[in-house]
Amino acid sequence: MVGKRSKGAIVALVVIAAMLALPSAQSLPVGISGVQESGCNCHGAVPSDSVVASIDGLPESYNYSEAYELTVSFQGGPSQEGNVNQGGFHLWASEGALSVNDATSQLYNQNEVGHTDAGNDQLSWTVTWTAPATDKNVDFVLHVNSVNGNADGAGGGTSGDMWSKVTISLGGPIEVLEAADPFVVLGVLIIVSASLLAITLAYVFYRKDPDAFDWDHFAPWLADWMTSTDHKKIGTLYFVAGLFFLGVGGIMAMIIRIQLSVPGNDFLTQEQYNQFFTLHGTTMIFLAAMPMINGFANWMIPLQLGAADLALPRINAMSFWLQPFAALLIFTGVFSGHGADTGWTGYAPYVVSEGAHYGTTMWAAGQIMLVASSTLTGINFLTTMAVMRAPGMGWMQMPLFSWSILVANVMLFLSIPAFGVGLIQVYLDRVVGTAFYDIAAGGDPLLWSHLFWYFGHPEVYVVVVPSFGIISEVIATSSRRSIFGYRSMVYAMAGIGIVAFIVYGHHMFTSGMSPTLRFVTMLTTMLVAVPTGIKVFNWLMTMHGGSLVYRTHTLWALGFLVTFTLGGISGMFFPSIAMDTHLHESYFVVAHFHYVLVGGTVFGFFAGIYYWWPKATGKMLSEKLGVLHFLTAFVSYNALFWPMHRLGVWGMTRRHHTYFVTTEEALGSLPMEAAGWNMFITVSAFLFFFSNFILVFNMIVSSIRGEDAPDDPWGGWSFEWMTSSPPPAHTLYKLNDGSWGLPTLKDANEHIANEPGWLSSWFQRLLVTDEDTEEESH
Amino acid sequence: MSVMTPIFEGLWDHYIFWSVIVGAIAFGWLYHHSFWFTSKDGKKIPNVDEIEVGVFPKHNDDMRLEVAWTILPFLLIVWLTYYSWEPLDAMWTSADGGVHGYECEEGQVSNNVMDSNGIITSDCYHVIEITGQQWFWNFDCLELNDSLCDTGTETMEVYGSVPVLSLKKGETYLAIMESVDVTHAPWFQHLGTKEDVLPGQQTTLWLPISESMTEESMVLCAEYCGDAHSIMAAKLVAHN
Amino acid sequence: MSYDDPHHPSPWGPHDWKHGSPHNSWAPFILSMGVAIFLFTLAGAFKWGEFQGWGKIPLIFVGLGVVGFGLLVWWRQDISFGVNGEVFEPKSAGAPFQNIDIRKVAMWVFLMSEMMVFTSLFSTYMRYRFGIASCQTVFESGEWVEGAAVTCFEPASHLIASSWFHIAPGAINTFALIISSFTIVQALRYAKMRDIDEDVRRKKITRYLGSTWFLAILFLTMKMIEWFLGFPLPEFLHEFNHGDSTINSLYTEGYLINADHYQHHEYDTHYLESNGHGLDHDSDLYAMMEAGSHPGGHMMANIQVSATTFYVTTGTHGAHVFGGIIGLSYMTLKAARGGYTPDNAVSIEYFGLYWHFVDLVWVLVFPFFYLY
Repeated sequence: MVGKRSKGAIVALVVIAAMLALPSAQSLPVGISGVQESGCNCHGAVPSDSVVASIDGLPESYNYSEAYELTVSFQGGPSQEGNVNQGGFHLWASEGALSVNDATSQLYNQNEVGHTDAGNDQLSWTVTWTAPATDKNVDFVLHVNSVNGNADGAGGGTSGDMWSKVTISLGGPIEVLEAADPFVVLGVLIIVSASLLAITLAYVFYRKDPDAFDWDHFAPWLADWMTSTDHKKIGTLYFVAGLFFLGVGGIMAMIIRIQLSVPGNDFLTQEQYNQFFTLHGTTMIFLAAMPMINGFANWMIPLQLGAADLALPRINAMSFWLQPFAALLIFTGVFSGHGADTGWTGYAPYVVSEGAHYGTTMWAAGQIMLVASSTLTGINFLTTMAVMRAPGMGWMQMPLFSWSILVANVMLFLSIPAFGVGLIQVYLDRVVGTAFYDIAAGGDPLLWSHLFWYFGHPEVYVVVVPSFGIISEVIATSSRRSIFGYRSMVYAMAGIGIVAFIVYGHHMFTSGMSPTLRFVTMLTTMLVAVPTGIKVFNWLMTMHGGSLVYRTHTLWALGFLVTFTLGGISGMFFPSIAMDTHLHESYFVVAHFHYVLVGGTVFGFFAGIYYWWPKATGKMLSEKLGVLHFLTAFVSYNALFWPMHRLGVWGMTRRHHTYFVTTEEALGSLPMEAAGWNMFITVSAFLFFFSNFILVFNMIVSSIRGEDAPDDPWGGWSFEWMTSSPPPAHTLYKLNDGSWGLPTLKDANEHIANEPGWLSSWFQRLLVTDEDTEEESH
Repeated sequence: MSVMTPIFEGLWDHYIFWSVIVGAIAFGWLYHHSFWFTSKDGKKIPNVDEIEVGVFPKHNDDMRLEVAWTILPFLLIVWLTYYSWEPLDAMWTSADGGVHGYECEEGQVSNNVMDSNGIITSDCYHVIEITGQQWFWNFDCLELNDSLCDTGTETMEVYGSVPVLSLKKGETYLAIMESVDVTHAPWFQHLGTKEDVLPGQQTTLWLPISESMTEESMVLCAEYCGDAHSIMAAKLVAHN
Repeated sequence: MSYDDPHHPSPWGPHDWKHGSPHNSWAPFILSMGVAIFLFTLAGAFKWGEFQGWGKIPLIFVGLGVVGFGLLVWWRQDISFGVNGEVFEPKSAGAPFQNIDIRKVAMWVFLMSEMMVFTSLFSTYMRYRFGIASCQTVFESGEWVEGAAVTCFEPASHLIASSWFHIAPGAINTFALIISSFTIVQALRYAKMRDIDEDVRRKKITRYLGSTWFLAILFLTMKMIEWFLGFPLPEFLHEFNHGDSTINSLYTEGYLINADHYQHHEYDTHYLESNGHGLDHDSDLYAMMEAGSHPGGHMMANIQVSATTFYVTTGTHGAHVFGGIIGLSYMTLKAARGGYTPDNAVSIEYFGLYWHFVDLVWVLVFPFFYLY
């Protein structure tokens, strides 16, 4: 019974996935019906060999936007000089724009010309073709008709006529591959990864109980995972999904780097490249980083608070399941070459223009679902931390990872609705034709910029603050000390959370801002360095007087301190606006945000993985493999991103599918050394990408034959270390008297449990409790 | 690095100086503590913070240190903001009597000078127009004579046909800019400056061509605008 | 894991709430799938405002159907909540929300995020309302020519606040929502009362929830009348309406999101001279016409942005009312089955909080979009 239902659901899922993955029909150029496909068969059923059609005047490869005089002509067939009618033609060009020179030809549309009544007694015609402004594969199809003139006027007497056609293809200065190629590559790699994931899942299930490896056991197990509201299972789902998309985003990055390895490369066309960097950004932030944060948060927040689960378990499941379906929407159109190509920032009015590919609408729709998911997550975690802390745990006794998730979630659910509204505006503009960003109707592109960056800036802090929390935990535990300056750590995170909302203007310095606002934003942006600096110094001071034990998570935390500090320092260059005017949209920006996002967020994730893996899975990871992972990844990562600072200062622009260096013969936009550095970066990128497979391998080996993990392998103090590894199916803790239950926090400091501080007391006086209110007013 | 303008270089060097100091402190401290306080088994020092599972450990703090590393970075930031103020003021100077004065009268010239910090001042400025569209730049010299401003096209080996803007050294120009379709941004690489062009609105950009300006430099599009964003280039020629 | 066993109820519902929240539920998966299908198919039915054909419409209903099915599964798990003492309504521990129901805290937090949604919509409206010149100003400045559409901002209030008849649906809506906030509180009151007969309680709660539901339906009906249908006036009122027999809807007046050739008689000099109050003698246009430098005529306007901000903001509010109706349908049904007792009365309060918020938003939307 249940197996059938699950089967049905899975079949439905596959069907829907297949439907969504199919290229959307309207986006493939099916060409113009009629002449181009069927031929001039009004004049004869089949083409004739005795008529030879030709097009003269086409170059080997066209120059952008250049106009060419084309002469279309034919020889042979029954047409004769002196007849009333001699022949006709139909020329179709797949790209570019055709235009007519005289009354002997007529323009049907910019892709098609043909002869007119006045021109039906010629053997050749001249038309003009203007080449496209971008690289395309252009196909010309010329149909010619040689008539024997056995009737007057147009339309009559088609017997005895013969027609023929010729097809010519050419490209622009940069030769273009067939549209699907890199997408075939991407698609194959994604399918391969997904298959590996499926095989891994099947294998994990097999290992649970080799004797029960059949559908009747598998279906309920799968259904349990698909319907679970348990924070641990949902945490694992988020984590696996996040890791999968981290790989997908990495694959996209590799393809981008191949394209950028040499100047003037043609591995990707411009349109393909634009889709790749859009999806790389969107995937990494929304489908990799945020889910992985949620993975850690789902697992650890109830454990750290000493709770049994989150406040709203079914809503938690809802938050998760919105994500894979959103991912399907976001990737729609990719495989047919029409994925979103707006950049992850999706600036208006390009994002609502017809030039932006069809996949943009689905990209907006998918992200609307992610906004809903994040809002629900924010509500859930804020409520949980406000109401489900264990007895003895006041606000100032929460572990710092919990604080970091709290600050991140508050920032998230207050900022993301603005993004959601912007996305709905874009979706509606593209679907039902509203005019939010219609310039002719008075729409304002800066409105999108404000809505987006009001979200976008807090978002990048949302993504990095949980890593701060992880690093605090890891450094404190590794040093065998309490974190230095707990209270200032809390205030610093809260300060970052508040200031995040007022600095978003620094993304818009070059968008026509008033000088006063530029100054204010400059100052506030630089001020963010103060709380961040406090945190860095506190982390360093935590090691002081400690007994630092080196494990892999320790290495990653120290690595984080190096790379995040470098990223933060490079970030300080931008608020100085006279430097920003040069550095904005250059590779200096790319270097900065990859240092804080990868060197900050992802390295924090790695530290968290090595730190909490034993707790979540009950198995230890191999330290040897961990050290190897750290060394290879850390070195290749710095080799990958550090040179980008220099490339940015030299003038290499972001989002350009290629670049040109100055040589002896020609002026380009970059010095010659830039080419070599780009190749160096590409090679480092591949090394970095593959080095992370050591971690994946480590995870697999640990699952199969890792040694069993004790409750508290590292000597931490928070509640997650007070339960078994892994925790029981219903989250419970090992209490001092040997029983299982919910814990109470003790405090080594003088602290009176449950006595609210001044802020809480004031707030409490505003509320009315539910206890003794029956019919009374509330 | 030849592409840095003097104003940029001045700021850059100063920021690098402070970055190195902050970096040296942070990384030196990290390096030291990573080696000085290690322990094989975590038992180098007794459990001063009373770390025990299920017990919130003793506070580990020092008010004076925390105040110190709040105040000192704050002061540094105030200093850097102050240091950045003058360049900011110069690059966004008002078109009505700012560092570049007012629009030049007929026959007047800018005679711009660059001071030791790279800040340029002029007697007056000339107005030109730049229009961005998918996917090329349009320069309009308005009523300026050829010696002050000239436009043309050139076929570059790598970019193909690009528009050329030829401006006079020692003269300062104010570009009034607009877009015909989506957002673009001309990045005058060797001037180290860019500003978005927006549809339906006008933005402005100062182009002070100093005497020491590179003769030929590129203008690239620096705000993603669709398919041919990468090759939407132009050339800036600074003539005598 | 086996299903339909007492300790692990089925993920399809019903659920035994004595054990707390459901450990498994198909609802999140199915709801997410439905939302994705809906957004995908909606974008297939319209492109750039152009309808792509009726063939695409059934698919949208597939999406909505899946969403509905997901909701049914959710409700099937919820419907037994509060009955027979099966309640799981934990209270908060720790400052500052001690002893307050956890789900109430969650609802307040949710409302905070909803505030951000409406703030963003209002910001959009204000940016355009005050950033684009109003059509009245443009008309009176004379900077237009007949036959060429000018871009200007025409607030909906220009049409809606033009007469008492036009404002009637909006006024009815305001009262409907305010009264519905009252009825929901009454439902809660009766649910919480301890010393009344069960049957009386059941009937009272059902009636009050039903009234709330009805008032919400009335709200949406009035909105549709105002937007699309218009309504006829009885004969004796015609004279108060310039002799017109109907109050036109916004749709009939041409106030549409694709209106780039909007023409209203208020911007027609010929009409104003013959029928209306006449052209304002202080205006530049009047002066120009007197001087002969402007021929007058019927100004054409591109009011897409105006209509867009109006319909999307009020429409978003309407969508929230619609969401409330969905919730109220479930609650009324549950109430009719005697599902609300003092033990679980607080679930009515959760909805009440949401409903008061919707009412509050309307109290802000109405003056800003309909009156001013």
